[in-house]
Amino acid sequence: MSEEFNTEGMLDMYLLENGQLLESLQETVLNQKDAECFDEDAINEIFRTMHTIKGSSGIMMFDNVTKIAHKLEDIFYYLRESKPDNVPHLELVSYVLDVADFISAEMDKIRDGNEPDGDPTKMIGKLDDFLKQIKHEITKDDKKELPPENVYVAPNQFYIAPVSSNESRFYQIIITFRPDTQMSNIRAYSAVYALKEIAEDMIYYPEDIVSNENSAEIILRHGFRMLLQAQASQEEIRPMIDTCADIEKIDIREVTSDGFLNSDFLKPIEIDLDSPIEEVERKAAETEQEEEPNKKAKDVAPGDYVIQSKEPGKAKQLNKNKPAKASKQSFISVNVEKMDELMDLIGELVIAEAVVLQNPDLKVPGLELQNFQKAARQLSKISADLQDVIMSMRMMPLTTTFQKMNRIVFDASRKLEKDIELEVIGENTEVDKNIIEHISDPLMHLIRNAVDHGIETPAERAAAGKRDKGKVTLLAKNEGGKVWITVQDNGAGMDRSKILKKARKNGLLGNKNPETMTDKEVYQFITYPGFSTNETVTEFSGRGVGMDVVVKNIQTIGGTLDIDSIPGEGSTMTMKIPLTLAIIDGIVMETAGSYFVVETGIVKSFVNAREDMMIHEPDGEEYIMIREECYPVIRLGEYFSLTNEKIAVEDGMMVLIELEEKTICILVDKLLGEQEIVVKPIPQYIKKVRGLSGCTQLGDGSIALILDPASLIG
Amino acid sequence: MSDLLNMELLDEDKDAQKGRYMTFKSGNEYFAIGIQYVDEIIQFQKITVVPETADYIKGLINIRGKIVPVIDVSLRFKQPPFEYNERTCIIVINVKSTVVGLIVERIAEVVTIEEENILPPPSLGRTDKDSNKFVYGIGKVGDSVKLMLDPDKLLHDEDVNAVDQASTYTEAEE
Amino acid sequence: MKKLKILLAEDDFATRKFMLKFLEKYGEVDVTVDGMEAVDAFLMSLEDEEPYDLVCLDVMMPVMDGYQALMGIRNIEKQRNIAQEDMVKVIMTTALNDERNVKKAFELGCTVYSGKPLNVDKFEEVLTKLGLI
Repeated sequence: MSEEFNTEGMLDMYLLENGQLLESLQETVLNQKDAECFDEDAINEIFRTMHTIKGSSGIMMFDNVTKIAHKLEDIFYYLRESKPDNVPHLELVSYVLDVADFISAEMDKIRDGNEPDGDPTKMIGKLDDFLKQIKHEITKDDKKELPPENVYVAPNQFYIAPVSSNESRFYQIIITFRPDTQMSNIRAYSAVYALKEIAEDMIYYPEDIVSNENSAEIILRHGFRMLLQAQASQEEIRPMIDTCADIEKIDIREVTSDGFLNSDFLKPIEIDLDSPIEEVERKAAETEQEEEPNKKAKDVAPGDYVIQSKEPGKAKQLNKNKPAKASKQSFISVNVEKMDELMDLIGELVIAEAVVLQNPDLKVPGLELQNFQKAARQLSKISADLQDVIMSMRMMPLTTTFQKMNRIVFDASRKLEKDIELEVIGENTEVDKNIIEHISDPLMHLIRNAVDHGIETPAERAAAGKRDKGKVTLLAKNEGGKVWITVQDNGAGMDRSKILKKARKNGLLGNKNPETMTDKEVYQFITYPGFSTNETVTEFSGRGVGMDVVVKNIQTIGGTLDIDSIPGEGSTMTMKIPLTLAIIDGIVMETAGSYFVVETGIVKSFVNAREDMMIHEPDGEEYIMIREECYPVIRLGEYFSLTNEKIAVEDGMMVLIELEEKTICILVDKLLGEQEIVVKPIPQYIKKVRGLSGCTQLGDGSIALILDPASLIG
Repeated sequence: MSDLLNMELLDEDKDAQKGRYMTFKSGNEYFAIGIQYVDEIIQFQKITVVPETADYIKGLINIRGKIVPVIDVSLRFKQPPFEYNERTCIIVINVKSTVVGLIVERIAEVVTIEEENILPPPSLGRTDKDSNKFVYGIGKVGDSVKLMLDPDKLLHDEDVNAVDQASTYTEAEE
Repeated sequence: MKKLKILLAEDDFATRKFMLKFLEKYGEVDVTVDGMEAVDAFLMSLEDEEPYDLVCLDVMMPVMDGYQALMGIRNIEKQRNIAQEDMVKVIMTTALNDERNVKKAFELGCTVYSGKPLNVDKFEEVLTKLGLI
């Protein structure tokens, strides 16, 4: 949804209201998709929704929406009046969803400022056929008569939206005249006159420039101030005003429509230096009180818009300067960019705090720091609280994302002719907004996989003696500072030998011995590029995107995917993702003069290695034996070609990291400590570097690179 | 709102900046870059190396909390490398919102070069390299000659060889 | 095409000029500059038995605003027992396109509520829908 959508009140309302209606309609429909038929409440709701949409679309002259809504309303009219039996329920469900999709798509076009030009003819044809069938159902036993026709009353009132009001631009203009200018008021008026041609709206100060000669003085002192709404650029406006030699300066500043409406720009600031302070405060209080009643929204009444005195030169009231909207609201909407900016600033604050608190100046021996430490603790507490608040502001429930899955299961199971129910648990679990954007795709893929590959066809299920319906469970919960999102199916489960066979065929086995591999290790093969056990690519899960892409997507947000399966009982895929991307706990390490950070969560342990623990392969690969386990070693400095020198393992530190059942050892020069890390992207100018996922600033201002464990291990 | 104001100021400044160029020395040549691209000039500071990047990308620096990549201009131009010292400067430029620091050998002055004093690069039938014209012209200031840099191409074009181009131009000029 | 008889009430000169030019395509246009004059003109047309086919009202006008003028026109029609379908089509034009404003206008019996700047294509479409052209 575009943020800067125009200020068109009526159209906004149309989109908002109908959007909400459609959403709740979709929910109702999906809730009852498995029922025998819609219950009375649902029928009423759908009927009413379509009726409302038909009505408002009629007024707005969106004819195609009007027509299709009317047709569906018709169908539900007959359902409501005659309650026929034997209505093909699933067919009806998909018709309702199709219509809802059509209308949503048209509304998107309107929202983007385009004409709603979708052609509903074909869909209406189908609905017509369906309606005939229902009518036939009603009359076939002669039991019932058709109710009176659902008469279509064409709207007799219409609303025309103004042309592209979203292209209007808003300007504050100050014209400064030379101090010796004669009759500056008249010269100011010529600017007003010139702009009238393009102005959609304009007010100015002083107002009475033509009739009041004294206004000339005000203009000379404060400049002549205008608020202009027009579809013109600054370059076009300037020459229109800049016509006389007496003009010293023209300031044109573009503002947002909000800034335009709420601006105090026109009132020159007057400072009262003579009155005692009490007097000034009293006056201020009075003006505030006076303004109060205006803030309450009142109903429009005839006579409200009479222009009281139309004296020559008197500017009209600004059209858009309407009374402020409705009473108190406990929610405000905030631009996402501003949230991100705030997040960045808090990140800076966290860093600045570290700079202060760990300042080397404090390390002078013998310094008395008691008071400082006390103040520092207070500061740390406030900045931690601040972080918590901004984090909570960014948290959003998974509800919407999960609801989308409902539709996917429905569509997919219909096309595949499988009878599948989706159970959703914990959809209120909250996740950072950033992360929500990233999990939709992988989640959709996992769900499709479960429906397509996981759950068997009804015939297969019957053959396997499974009585229950196919079921996909979508579950979210908080666990150990992470969010777990689980997609579970009660299908056939994964076939170990089939996976192994395929892995061998694709050369994925390497020198691993299949006999000794755990089930989980075997299942991991399905996340390898180019792996798919399904011979035939189906419409739903085989669009060339495999599990490897899913895993990659999850890893980019610092998450992992856990795969488990019980043959005959189903598979479970668990995404474990961080609550937020912005601030992580990290271990800071130094190697070859560069700083690196690894996320604390994946560090298993630190080991002071000895040479006798090391195994050197002839090809240069190194391994380390720790408690009878053997792990590959990455010398970080060499890995990143920062140095050629091989330090003795005794001089460095081994960091064991574990990810997706794999453990490796990273050898660094030394550990610097653990701290909160504000994650920043590596500037785009530098192309993506393998092994790194971002960068951060340390307390002393130097930059550390954040390791991407997935690519180190992979 | 404040952003709008700033934008505006920049816009206004742009008029004043017209024809003004920051010049610097690299190798034996003097280069000029439109002053409107220059954000600031900072002292040399510690650079964090980013592995596996082109040799001229020296790494990242921290400018008041903003992490900015820096490139070595002489390496970019395939000129011989020079030693950095405390007098080495970094010109921070902003090209279409990409902020990059340029490590240059020596900063020279800010000059005004009128449009008519900027000559198009001579075409010497080197069509294969013409697509890499990050030097788009030669600016004359009094008796001296500056190579006019196209900052966008400086940052993004693959594999340029400034010395080649530069000497071609200067020769042609003579 | 039948020539329409149109009444335009608009106080702003520039808009009036634009609207006049636009409406003259469809027929004869009488122009008034405030709401009161518009009601007078409407009454006069009924007296002369040459009623208007279309009335275009600006909302913000001196003396009487567009809402008052609309109410006046509908009251006159009611008093004269003019049937619903024969009531004059009233188009209100204004930049006040807040939902409350639109609802109020419809309540008072306005036929078309059009935002400013005027969408000329939609305006023609509406005239067609209303059976005027």
